[in-house]
Amino acid sequence: MSKDYQLKASINQKLIEMGERERLKELLRAKLVESGWKDQLKAHCKDVVREKGLEHVTVEDLVTEVTPKGRGTARRQQGVGKGQKSSCTHAPKQCEANKPPDHIAKYYILKT
Amino acid sequence: MKMEDMPLSGPDNTKLEALVNDIYSELVEDACLGLCFEVHRAVKQGYFFLDETDQESMKEFEIVDQPGVDIFGQVYNQWKNKECECPNCKRLIAASRFAPHLEKCLGMGRNSSRIANRRLASNNNTSKSESDQEDNDDLNDNDWSYGAEKRAKKRKSDKSQNSPRRSKTLKHKNGELGSSMSADPYKYNYNAGINYEMLGPDEVRSFLTTQCGVISEHTKKMCTRSQRCPQHTDEQRMAVRVFLLGPSAPVLPEADSVAGPESFDIPDGQALMSRLQWEDSPEISPSDSASSKASTNHSDSRRPKKKKRPPLGLNSGGGIGSLSGGGGSGGSQTNISLSTKKKKPKLTAPSISSIYDDLN
Repeated sequence: MSKDYQLKASINQKLIEMGERERLKELLRAKLVESGWKDQLKAHCKDVVREKGLEHVTVEDLVTEVTPKGRGTARRQQGVGKGQKSSCTHAPKQCEANKPPDHIAKYYILKT
Repeated sequence: MKMEDMPLSGPDNTKLEALVNDIYSELVEDACLGLCFEVHRAVKQGYFFLDETDQESMKEFEIVDQPGVDIFGQVYNQWKNKECECPNCKRLIAASRFAPHLEKCLGMGRNSSRIANRRLASNNNTSKSESDQEDNDDLNDNDWSYGAEKRAKKRKSDKSQNSPRRSKTLKHKNGELGSSMSADPYKYNYNAGINYEMLGPDEVRSFLTTQCGVISEHTKKMCTRSQRCPQHTDEQRMAVRVFLLGPSAPVLPEADSVAGPESFDIPDGQALMSRLQWEDSPEISPSDSASSKASTNHSDSRRPKKKKRPPLGLNSGGGIGSLSGGGGSGGSQTNISLSTKKKKPKLTAPSISSIYDDLN
């Protein structure tokens, strides 16, 4: 629905404007590395590359192979975090990691 | 801001959740894509598989995760309880203490020499010859060594008493007399003093021009420190000179420097005259003035002033003057008066003044 779409667009825009999106992205990256998600995914990449052959592997190959797995595992990790996060009361920064844009998005939406 | 505290309506909440999840998954996809790009570049540049070797080595160096063993598979306390027999003293030493024990036992290594020397020094033995080389090494290191410092001080004080450097000042200034003087004081220097009865009048005179010379009451020895030695006052020095050389106004060299640079010429001239009476051997020549200029001793500063008399005539005639103008003219006056007293300056001064009269 276009309304949702507009809402989503406006949220995104707000995030970008405030620089929050970048910050969230960096935060997410850091958390993923910390949790070992990145290494897992890299090992998976290695398998793919060995499979496809070193010379002929392309970005698209990697992306199509790796992204779904990545998304899935990230969710799983996020789910683990989510259960804990219900008790999170302090620094919004830490809450974000496991449910990143949640309360900030709410905050922005409420503002508008 | 607590998440639970957010008042939100039901449907909005789920929509929001969905939106939020969308945003989140976008971020995750960004991360994945970033990783893919990184991997792809690594593959194409050829450094992707660099951290891997062949299977055998990989197995060999795999991380070990057993209890009692570190990640390399090595046991930690393996050598702790073992004892080794020292080849030198035949004692059984614990393995962890073995290396330091060997160092001390064999007398090699840095610490052992220091400790040994400290022990010897405290026993009042001189073991300088052995310790010299190691000392240099030790002093070159950044470690501070108590023994080395003590020895350095001790050696320094030794040097100042008995070394030939002490008579260097005498040798330097007296020109012809220097050789005779250098031998004698060096012989007599053992107890830091010279007996005035042993020296002839010439030697006494030349000695007194350079050294303090005050006679110590209990040892009857003359002080061999410089003219400015802090142990004796100027009155004492004057008294000694009067006593030894007679009342014919032996002048202390300090009178020159005390007077000050501007007026130094006039009293200096009188001093010079009186000095010339009883000091007949040293000759005024440019070579002497050059050599005395080269020395850095304070008492030497007099000599160039005296010996520059003829050249000062030069300067004053030429109008250059290393001194102030009044000083220069005063110098020329005393120069002329001096030349009447002595033959050699007389010879040089009129000739020089005649040469430069033409310039003026």
